[in-house]
Amino acid sequence: MLEVKNISKIYGEGTAKVVALSNVSLRVDEGDFIAVMGPSGSGKSTLLNIIGGLDNLSGGEVILDGKRIDSLDENALVDVRRGKIAYVFQQYHLIPSLTALENVLLPLTFGGANNGGQKALDILTRVGLDKRAQHKPSQLSGGEQQRVAIARALVNDPSLILADEPTGNMDRKTGKEILALFGQLNSEGRSIVMVTHDPEIAGYAKEVVVLQDGQIVHKINQEGGNKC
Amino acid sequence: MKLYQIVMKDIRRRKKRILYASLGVVVGITTIIAVLTTALAGQTNIYGQLEKYGANLMVMPAISDIDIGLGGLSLGTLAIGENYISEDRLPEIRQIADGMIREALNIEDEGDIVTIAPKLYMNTKVNGTSVIVVGIDPPEERLLKTWWRVSQGKYLEAPGEALVGAIAAELLKFNVGDRLTLDGEEVTVAGILEETGSNEDYQVFVPLDTAQEAFDKEGLVSSIDIRALCNACPTSDIASAINENMAGIRAVAVTQIAETEMGMLEKLSGFLFALAAITLAVGCFGVVNTMTASVHERIKDIGIMKAVGASRNQIMKIFFYEAIIVGVAGGLLGYVAGTLLAHIIGPLILGGVAVSYVAQYFLPSLALATLIAVIASVYPAFRASRIKVADSFRSL
Repeated sequence: MLEVKNISKIYGEGTAKVVALSNVSLRVDEGDFIAVMGPSGSGKSTLLNIIGGLDNLSGGEVILDGKRIDSLDENALVDVRRGKIAYVFQQYHLIPSLTALENVLLPLTFGGANNGGQKALDILTRVGLDKRAQHKPSQLSGGEQQRVAIARALVNDPSLILADEPTGNMDRKTGKEILALFGQLNSEGRSIVMVTHDPEIAGYAKEVVVLQDGQIVHKINQEGGNKC
Repeated sequence: MKLYQIVMKDIRRRKKRILYASLGVVVGITTIIAVLTTALAGQTNIYGQLEKYGANLMVMPAISDIDIGLGGLSLGTLAIGENYISEDRLPEIRQIADGMIREALNIEDEGDIVTIAPKLYMNTKVNGTSVIVVGIDPPEERLLKTWWRVSQGKYLEAPGEALVGAIAAELLKFNVGDRLTLDGEEVTVAGILEETGSNEDYQVFVPLDTAQEAFDKEGLVSSIDIRALCNACPTSDIASAINENMAGIRAVAVTQIAETEMGMLEKLSGFLFALAAITLAVGCFGVVNTMTASVHERIKDIGIMKAVGASRNQIMKIFFYEAIIVGVAGGLLGYVAGTLLAHIIGPLILGGVAVSYVAQYFLPSLALATLIAVIASVYPAFRASRIKVADSFRSL
C-alpha cells in the first residue's frame, strides 16, 4: 500500500549540510507492523515524517496506493491526512484547551463532519477512556494522553498508523499497555510503522528496520514475534 | 464541534494574551471615541447656546439702493422704500413664523411660539453726547437677551424708565434715579446693565412706546428680532416665507455665528481625528505584532491541527476568528475608555461643558475595531497557514 523509493533528505546547505536520510527504500503492505530502530540522529523520525507527508524530501518517491504523494501540494496532502494515514506522537500532541473527547473530535471537525460526538465517544471507550472524556490533557496521565492521541488517530479509520516513539515518555507498564493496543489495531488489519530506539519494544513488530546515519543497515523479519 | 468553538476554548485559556493583543485596538478606538464624543458634546453645546442666546431671524425694512447713472457717469444712489416697519405687521410675522414651526415640528399648541422683539433705534444727544437710544418691548427683549444682567437698579418695568448700557452710564455719569431728556421727553434711569462686550454697552434702552412718543415715530419700529426655540426650527424657510408674503420688509436668518463656531470646532475635531487615525494605525501594527507572537506561541498547536487534517484555510480561519474576538474586546474596552476620557477631558477643552456617553457610537466602534484586528491579522494568519508540520514540531 505504501512504498518509499530511494529517498534522501538533506538539511541545510554548504558546510552546514546534514544528510538525514540517504537512499532509503521501504515497503509497507497491508497488515504490516514495522519497527524503525536506530540511535538518535539516525533519521528515524525524519523517515516517518516523510512517509506521512509531514516533511518534504530532497530526493526519491513516496507512493501511496499507486499515487505519488511526495510531490503533492498542501491542499492535496490534507486529504491524505484526513484519510488513510494517521499519526501518534511521542509527546502526544494534544490541544491543551480541548477535552479528551474534543481532541478526538478534532480530525472530524476539520474534515467537516458535524456530528461525530458518538463516534468519538465509542473510540474513546475502545481505548478505555470513556470515563475521562471530559478531562483536559493536563488532568490525564501520560498513558491516558497517549490513548487519547491513539483514539484521535483512529477516528478517521486510517489503514496506516505512523507512531513516533509512542511509549517514549512512559513507564514500562503503561508502555506495554499502549503497545498491546497497537498490536490489537494491527490484528484488525491496520498497518503500523513505529519508530523506537528500544529493542524490547521493537520486539512487538513483525518487521524491524534498523537505520544508521540515514541509511538502512538491517531489515529483520520476525513474523509471529508478537509476544505480548 | 465547530472551528469557532475550538477558538473560543483556546481563548478562554489565554485571556491575558487576548487582552494584550487587543491593547493596540483599544488605544486607537479610545482616542477616536474620545474625540467624537467630545466633538459631539461641543456641537450640542453650540446649538444649545444658539438656542439660549440671541435671535434666529432679523426682519428689517426693505430698503434698496439703486445706482443712478447716465451712461458711464455715476450720479449717486437713490434709496427706495421706508426706513421703518409698521407695528401693525407684527401679528402677520408671528402668524407666518409660528405657523411654519407648528408645521415643521407637528405642534398642536395654539399659544405663541417665537419671541418677537421689535426695536426702534434713534440717534440722539444726551447732555451733549451722541448716544443711540433703543426702544424695546421689555418682556420680549428680556427673553431674547438672556445674557443681560442688571448691575444696579432694576430692569425696565414701566413707561418713562430707561436702562443704560455699562459704558454709556460711565461716560454720561448716570446713576439709578437720574433723569435724562430724550428729545424733550424725560425718563428716569431705572437700571444699569452689566458690561456685555457688545455695542449694547453704549446704548440706552427705553420702552418702545416711550421711544416712539419721544421721537414722533408712533407705531413704527426699525427692526424686529425673532427667536425660535429650537435648532431644528426652519429659520431659513421662515425668512423666505416672510420675504415672499410681505412686501416692504426683508427677513434674514442668522446662521453665520453658528457657522463660524461650528467651523472652528470642525477644524479642531478634524485635527484630533487625524491624530486618532494615526493612533489607530499604530495600534494596528501593535495587533500585527501580537498576532505574529500568537502564531509563534501556537506553532505547535498549528502543527498538531495540520497533522490531524486542518487545511490552510481552516488555520487562517482560526486566526481570523481570534482576530474578531480581539477586535470585539478591543472595541468594547475602547468605547468605554474613550467615553471616560471624553467625560474627563471634554469639560477641560470645552470650558466646563459636561460630556456624556454616546450610545450610537457603540456598534460602530465594535465594527471598526474588528475590521482593524482582522486586517492586522491577515499576514500573521497567512504565515500560520504556511507552517510545515515537521518544522513546527522541530522548533520545540
